[in-house]
This record gives sequence, structure tokens and C-alpha cells, in this order.
Amino acid sequence: MSKASRIHPAVLNAAGDHREGKMNRREFLRFATLLGASVPVAYALAGCGAAPAAEAPAAGAPAGSDTGAEAASGAVKRGGTWTASMQLQLLDHPARLSWVEGANIVRQMNEYLTETGPDNITRPLLLDRWEASDDVKTWDLYLKQGIKFNNGDDLTADDVIFTMGEWLNPDVGSSMLGLLGSLGSIDNVEKVDDYHIRLNLETPDIAIPESLFHYPAVILHRDFEGDIVKQPIGTGPFMLEEYAEGERARFTRREDYWQNGEDGDPLPYLDELIFVSTDKDAGVAALQSGQVDTMYDPRPSDFQALQGMPDLTIRPVSTAQCLVLRMRVDLEPWDDNRVRTALKMCQDRAKILQLAYFGEGDLSIDAHFAPIHPAYAEKPIPAYDPDGARALLEEYAAEKGIELPLKVTLATKNDQNEPELAQALKELAEPAGFDITLDITEPGGYWDRWTEVDLGITSWTHRPLGVMIAALAYTKESIGAWNETRWYDDDFTELLNQAQSTLDVDARRELYSQMEDIMQERGPIGNSFWKNVWNITRSEFQNVVAHPTAYFLMADVWKDA
Amino acid sequence: MARFIVRSLISAVLTMLIVSAALFFFLEVGSGDVTVKILGIESTPEQRASYRTQLGLNAPAWQRYLDWLAGSDWRAERAVGLPLVTVRNESTDEAEWWAERDGELVRWTMRDGELYQLTRQADGSSVESPADVAWQEGENGASYFWGVDADNNAVMWMRGAGETVWVRTKAGFRKEGDGPREYIPLRKGLLRFDAGKSLQTGRPVSVTLWPRVRNTLILAGLAFLIVMPLAVFLGVIAGINEGTWIDRVISIGGLALTATPEFVTGIFLILIFGVWWRVFPAVAIFTSPNAIFEKPMLLVLPVMTLTAVELGYVARMTRASMVEVMEAPYIRTAAIKGMPRRRIVMRHALRNALLAPITIIMLHVNWLIGGVVVVEAIFGYPGLGSYIYSAAIFGDPNAVEAAAMLLVIIAVATRLIGDAAYMLLNPRIRYS
Repeated sequence: MSKASRIHPAVLNAAGDHREGKMNRREFLRFATLLGASVPVAYALAGCGAAPAAEAPAAGAPAGSDTGAEAASGAVKRGGTWTASMQLQLLDHPARLSWVEGANIVRQMNEYLTETGPDNITRPLLLDRWEASDDVKTWDLYLKQGIKFNNGDDLTADDVIFTMGEWLNPDVGSSMLGLLGSLGSIDNVEKVDDYHIRLNLETPDIAIPESLFHYPAVILHRDFEGDIVKQPIGTGPFMLEEYAEGERARFTRREDYWQNGEDGDPLPYLDELIFVSTDKDAGVAALQSGQVDTMYDPRPSDFQALQGMPDLTIRPVSTAQCLVLRMRVDLEPWDDNRVRTALKMCQDRAKILQLAYFGEGDLSIDAHFAPIHPAYAEKPIPAYDPDGARALLEEYAAEKGIELPLKVTLATKNDQNEPELAQALKELAEPAGFDITLDITEPGGYWDRWTEVDLGITSWTHRPLGVMIAALAYTKESIGAWNETRWYDDDFTELLNQAQSTLDVDARRELYSQMEDIMQERGPIGNSFWKNVWNITRSEFQNVVAHPTAYFLMADVWKDA
Repeated sequence: MARFIVRSLISAVLTMLIVSAALFFFLEVGSGDVTVKILGIESTPEQRASYRTQLGLNAPAWQRYLDWLAGSDWRAERAVGLPLVTVRNESTDEAEWWAERDGELVRWTMRDGELYQLTRQADGSSVESPADVAWQEGENGASYFWGVDADNNAVMWMRGAGETVWVRTKAGFRKEGDGPREYIPLRKGLLRFDAGKSLQTGRPVSVTLWPRVRNTLILAGLAFLIVMPLAVFLGVIAGINEGTWIDRVISIGGLALTATPEFVTGIFLILIFGVWWRVFPAVAIFTSPNAIFEKPMLLVLPVMTLTAVELGYVARMTRASMVEVMEAPYIRTAAIKGMPRRRIVMRHALRNALLAPITIIMLHVNWLIGGVVVVEAIFGYPGLGSYIYSAAIFGDPNAVEAAAMLLVIIAVATRLIGDAAYMLLNPRIRYS
């Protein structure tokens, strides 16, 4: 087994990488657009004189003279079929997608305005660039010119505005509606010209570029009538030939895709993509026997089973997915910060990571901010301290006049190795004076009561920015919705509000640093580690990337056979 | 015989009615909000309510059951006031609903608060023109119109109701007080061979169900064709050699195979033949609709698994029956009068010995069809079993009902065939 190099969570060394020649100019330019959204001067720093729009049609191709670090032309091979195992269900209106598998189908033929890469940095894709006003309430989106749909029509602002209208139409039922709460209504979307759209937000929102890569947010053709299988029109590199729910999906290569490959001809390199609908157990067996080339989102047990297979390459990637040990701060004994802190001190993080996730992840502090978030401020990982925890608990018990051990019930679901975490914690917390009873149900059983149990382990999915999670789960307004702990803190909220309108990453890191401290000091959650996810693909496929949200990005994958 | 068949058919229809009603109401009570499953947990209550209306799920359960059984076009026709007809769309191969007015087929669509009429042309396309319809007076000065939309629903459009909804325009969306208010999804009902639309796939059930039925019938049929002759042969061999080492090997081997559940046999077969030796495909990966014919090797391991489980049971049954017959006086008489042993077995013993197993065998067709669920799950085989399983988990009434009705039909048919075969083998038996 060959393990591809892991993408480092620290994301802000890009400029240095560029100077040292590790990152080519195109990459740096995209990165500069990210930072320079309100600081267009960044373009000058990159030493790029040409108007970005002029090179848009070839933006995906390396500008040959850049760094010389590119692979020699001719090294890539064209052709071949790639087969994946992934469950396929209802697919009609992409804006209505509520499952990543469906988005993995749609993204092969439809594209997003932006793209959040495996390094968790968001860059323009169909957009040429974006600009935000200083108060982060006005966003100017500039489309690349010369991009064509696979029916020959040009991509213009009309298509984008039509698509945004679909997101915001309650009758369509898109989760983009909730995500773009800052946008409010389609009246706030303004067409400046054919390639320039302005979003006039009602409240500041720095997460617009990330939201535009939320998986239902593919750009549709302006004549779309509600069923992508019947109208497979998009700007993407592949064309849908067949879609059968619960059976398979098949794509063939498009000849006139707008991005060019390393050999100067249009992408993609592969001729055909086939998705076969199986469950994950069958997917593992099919990978082992060589019937498929990859599977969607392997579970830890699948990773264990496939580890060591000679012809597979396992690519791990850090994510902001985690199993949060969360405590209801409105209920005894968790309303007392000493008890919360004591339980947090009982986490032997390295051991928990080993037991619950085979060591495949990054250790975490007790805050819902991940190292992969761009503005994360580095903090030391707290050590396992049962004696300190015991001292805190004894103080609490003496005050309340109760006897140790403190009996508590830990609820969770039997889904993604939560039981292993719960069991490990039970044993680690025993010397500190906790007597933990486990209450483990099927996933559906836990999701019915996840906001209600007093102590629980909840799995949280990846979100590209830390403020997105904090706003969703740790504010007063979110009680009754996603705030499962009922915790909010005035200082924290104040910092969060500032962070939500701070575009500059370094300035935001200062705020994150204080928010992380507050959560560690008096917050409602313990968090031992951030999960890795894996892309496990047959080794002859090159340019494969592992994405934190298990997306299949296939435009420049090629088969060395 | 004719009376017997008629009686069987009547009982089959009754069974189907009872099963379908029971299933429908169990699914109604047992499964959660299906719009959450479709739209995801991040959808808002308003979005879910709107989607429920679009799916026609706000109608009472008894009404939806009747729609499922007998169709909804009756009541939709009353609302619309025009005959509703279906036309097959050549490009998608799915049925489309149209209203018939003055010899023309028409539908309607609303944009920017204006209603447009789509008139179907001979080539299947449609021509759009401003709608010339009579709006009826509703409450609060609003007016409404019942028509057919482009998504096969009877729709009530509202004008001047003053509520805020989003209306699609060419360049995006505009706020309007007008729009669709009520939906009746159009369907013919099972009695007219329309199983309706699956909520899980968004397509007509028949489109997704038939390939699954075909796959399961091929798998079960192949297993049947291999198991039954083999099992009967082994059973007869064991039976006429009662007490010898051949009998012991067959009996104990059969018992061992039957005692091992198919998920154990299946996993071992996958590991040995699929993963270690790689001689047969480990799981059933269908890379094309007809993969089963292009790569018949896909079937090897699932059929072997089914064979292993079925073989022992039928073989032991045949053996017991054979032993009993071989001890009968008429066999002894035949042997005493000097008839060759082969002739005794083939002419006199076999026919009587097969009477008991034949019933078991026909009952086992049902078992095979239903029991392949486990085998289909192990091998990721896209068959009827996995179809029902996923539909039931999702809470997709139309899909579950259609599959269940098929299973009832198969059960009744195999029983009929079993009874007929029994009669042929034993002329003393008469059904009336």
C-alpha cells in the first residue's frame, strides 16, 4: 500500500510556497483571489499584469512558462473507464439534493461557481473572481467568459440568477435557502451585466464563496424545468448517458470542455465514468476483487479491511468532521462548569483516537474549530488529567453534598464508531469519579433525540469555515434548532459577530483564538479528534484527490494503464 | 379443475386487497415524514409543507389508498371539467397526462402570474399560447382555475389571493400573489395497471421494478433449475442406498449445508473465489443494464450460495420419501418376482417417492423468491428483495405495494402449478 502525502491542515503558507516554486502562478492567483476579495492589490503582488478574464478559457491549463514544476507534457494518458461503487437514489432537481452521493453524480456534468479544494481553501471555478465590500454585505461575482454548456449555449449571468432563484424558491425545497439566509430573497440578486452579478446581502456573510460550493449549488441552464436526468445540460466535463436509480449512472467524456489538460487538449482525460449502486459492504468486496476502482466514503471498518491491499492507494485527508461529546448546560450536573471541565480532562485524546478511529485523525482541543479551518489559531492539545478532574469533582460533590462517583448516562448512536469512543471515555473517566452508563441506539433512534439528551456524542459533518458551525450551534438564536447544548456566551457571541464580518484571515484568526479559549475554558463540548476521511482508489489512477466531504473531482484524473 | 382455478384466482384477488390495505396503513403509521428524507434535515417546515402538497400527501390516507387502487383521474376530471388522457412520450418513454379540449390536447403553465396554454403537436412537442380559460370566483375576491400542469398533476391555480409565493420567470424569480395552490397527482391506479410513482426514485414504479423482477427471476430460476434436479438425484441415490456410506455422505453433507446460513456460505464463497483466487466476480456489479447476460459469471457465486442452502433440505426430503417407498410391499413384490432393480426404481418407486418432495419444491419457489433477499444483500445483487428492503426503509408506499402484489401473484401461481403437478403425478387426487 502506498500512502499518498497528506495535505497539511495549515493552509496559509501559500505565498511562501509560491516564492519557493512549490505552487505555480495559477494556483497562487486563485489563492490571491481568495484573500484579495477585498484587496485587489493582491493581483499586483502575484506579478500578473494580464486581465484575469482574458485567460479565463484556459484557466484550468497550466500557463506553460510558469514554474517548470509541471509534469512533462505527454506524461498523462487519455482514455479509460473509471468505475465507482456508490448508492444512487432520487435525482431530479439538483438544488433539492439532500445527499452527497447525488451531488457526486451531478458534479460530473454541472459545475459550481466556486470550489473548495481538498486543502479546504475556496477558489473561483465558474467565477473568474469575486469581490466583497468592506462591510461584507455586497458581493460582486464575475463569471468567466467563454464557458459553454454542453448544448452549445454560453454561460451567462442569466443562468446563475435563474439557479439562485431555484435555491430561494421555497417550493423547490433547497437547503441553499437556509444557508443563504443572509441573502434573503432573489430581489437582492442584481444582474450588473452578462458576466457580473451582485449580491446585496441583508446581513454580513463571509461564507458566500464557501456556500456557493455547498453540494446542491450547481449552476443550471436557464431553461431547466426541474429534472436533470431528463435535461442533462451543464458546463461540466462529462455528459450523462444513463441514470437508473438504485442501479447505475454512466457518463461519457465531453469534447469541448472549457478547461485544458496538461497536454494542451481539453479535459477530461477519462472516456467514461460508471457509478454502480451497491451498499458499502458489497463495495468493499468489489474493490477487493477488482470489479470497481473506488468506493464512496469508506467507513473506518472499510478502511481497515482495505488497508494493505497491494493495488489500492489510500489517500487520507483531514476534515472538520468530529464526534462531539456534548453536555446540556441547562441541566444538572452539566450546568456547573467544574463538572464539564472535569469530564473534558478525562479525555486521553491520543488513546481515544487510537481506540475509536484507528489513529486516523488529528487530535483536537475542546472547541468546535478545526485546524483545517483557514483562520484556526494553533493551541496546545490538553493532556489527560484524571487527578485534576477528580479534584474538581470532589469540590463540586462537597458543595452539593453528594457522594462520588457521579452517576451519568452517555447517549449516542451505533453508527460511526461512537460506541468505541463512549466505551473508552467510560473507562478513562472512572478514576476521576465518573460512573458513566452507556445508552447506545441505532442512528435513527439517536437523531430523534439528539438535541434532548443531557450527555451525548453527536457526529458533526465538515463545514469549510469555523464561523459556519459556531453560528449554527453555539448562539442564543440557535437554541431550539441546532444548538444541542443550549450553551451561549456573551463574549463568545460578540467575537463571533465580529468574525462573521471579518474577511481578512489573519484578523479573523485573532478572534478565533479568543473564541477557542472561551470554548476550552467554559464551553459545552469535549472534542478528542478530527476524523480523517479516505479516498481509496486503484493505484493506476493518477491526480486523484481525497476531499474532506467525499466529493469525486474527476476532471483531471487519468488512468495509467 | 376450472372451478378450482377460478376459486384460486378469487382468493388471490382477496389476498391482494387485504395485503395492500394492510401494507398501506402500516406504512402510513410506521414511516416518518418522507419529505424530510427527500429534502434533508436542513429543509424548513415551510419547504416541507409545500413539497407535501406537491406530492399530494396532504390528502387523507383513505383517499390516497383509493387513488392508488383505482386512480385519481376520476376526481381530477371532475375538478378540471375536461376529459384527461395519457399519451406516451416517445423521448422519455413515460406516460404524460393531458386535458382534451375541442379535439386538442392541452396543459397549462403559469409564469409571472399569467397562465399559458401548452397545446400538444403531433410530434410530441407543444406550442405555447396565452391561456383562454374561464377563471372561477373563489373566496376573498380571488379567482381560481383547475388544469393540468407539465408534471402530470391536476393543479388549482390561484389569482389575486394576495399570498406571497415565488414565481419563476425567465431571468429568475419574482414575488407574486398568484400560483399553484392544490395538487392532485394524476394516476390510473393499480386496477388499470398503473403502479404509480416511487417517492424514492421519482420515476414510475414500473420503470425501476421490472429490471429488478427480471434479475430476481433469473437468479431464483437458475438456482431452482440447478438445485432441484441435483437434490432429487442425490436424495434418490441416498434413499436407495439407505445405510451405506453414500447415504451417510449425502445426508450429513446436506445437513451441514442446510445448517449453515446463507450469509456465512456467501461470505466464504466471496472470500475464497472472489478475493483470494479471483476466479469469479465477488459481488454483482452491474455496469450495464444487461450485465447479467454480458457477464453471466456474475451469477456464479449467488447461485452457488442459494444452491448450498436449498440442496440439503430437498435432498433429505426426497431421501426420506424414497426410503419409505422402497419398503412398501409392492416394491418387495416386484423384487421377488425378479424385476431388475433399475427398473423397479425408475418405473415404480420414483413416481410415488416424488409426491412429497414436489409440494416442498413448489413451496420453495416462494421461499427462493423471498429468501434471495439475504443473498441479494450479500452480493449487492439488484433484485426484488433489495428493492423491497430499500423501499420499506425509505417509506415508499407505491414501490412496496407493487412489489408485494407481485409476490402475492407469484405465491398464488406457484401453488397452482404445485397442485397441478401433484395431480399429474397422482391421478387419485382431484380438486373441485
